[in-house]
Amino acid sequence: MSVVAFERKQDSGEWSEKELSTLVAALGAASGAGREWETGMTERGDAQFYVLGPLPDQACELCVSRIGGRYILEDGSGRLLFEHRNLERVALHAKAAVPSTSWLMVRVITLCCAIRNAIHEKVEPLLVEGEELFVQFVPQLAAFA
Amino acid sequence: MKREKHQGVFTERLPAKAAPDAKQLRKLAGDWLKLRRADAELSQADLAARLGLKYYTFISQVENGFSRVPIEIMGAWARELGLEQAAFARHLLMYYEPELHRLLFGAESK
Repeated sequence: MSVVAFERKQDSGEWSEKELSTLVAALGAASGAGREWETGMTERGDAQFYVLGPLPDQACELCVSRIGGRYILEDGSGRLLFEHRNLERVALHAKAAVPSTSWLMVRVITLCCAIRNAIHEKVEPLLVEGEELFVQFVPQLAAFA
Repeated sequence: MKREKHQGVFTERLPAKAAPDAKQLRKLAGDWLKLRRADAELSQADLAARLGLKYYTFISQVENGFSRVPIEIMGAWARELGLEQAAFARHLLMYYEPELHRLLFGAESK
């Protein structure tokens, strides 16, 4: 008979290695732009994970806390953004909530593509049309000259 | 004469001592808030409940120096700690916006 060892879910105390790696994997990569993270504890000994903004202020932008096996996601002003017993789900919400420069890059690239597409669709036919007219009229103009 | 007096005020120099950074100041504010809460004999959870917060984690966030007391609940926070609201806000401004505090109230009020 084989016994499957289930990992016991942590309800209080410091972050476990697994929890920290989940948060860092989701938020460490998402944050970027000079952001850092720190951990702390509440007075009851519940773990907190802070995503800090860039220097010089380094104010908290997001905070994930664990209370009684439940994960709480708040922003730096204390607004409750999400809560769940599954850390992966909370980390996903946190990742989406991090103000990211990559999001801005996506918008810029989308805008560039839209402009290029508009040029391709609207301006290029006019140029082609102009070119055709030119090809048609050049012999006639040459005959006049 | 009046003009000269004003010129003197505007050329006042900042203290030579290096100012602590925003993070350090928030931590000092958090330590002060923690002491005031202890004086009021409230736990973080008690204070959160009185402020209408679902979880007490934000109180910890502020007291650990990672966030500021939001202006919209500053008055209520002061009231629950049994402190006068204007004095509370003024004291927090010293940590959160030291230059503004100095401009408004002068260095001597620290």
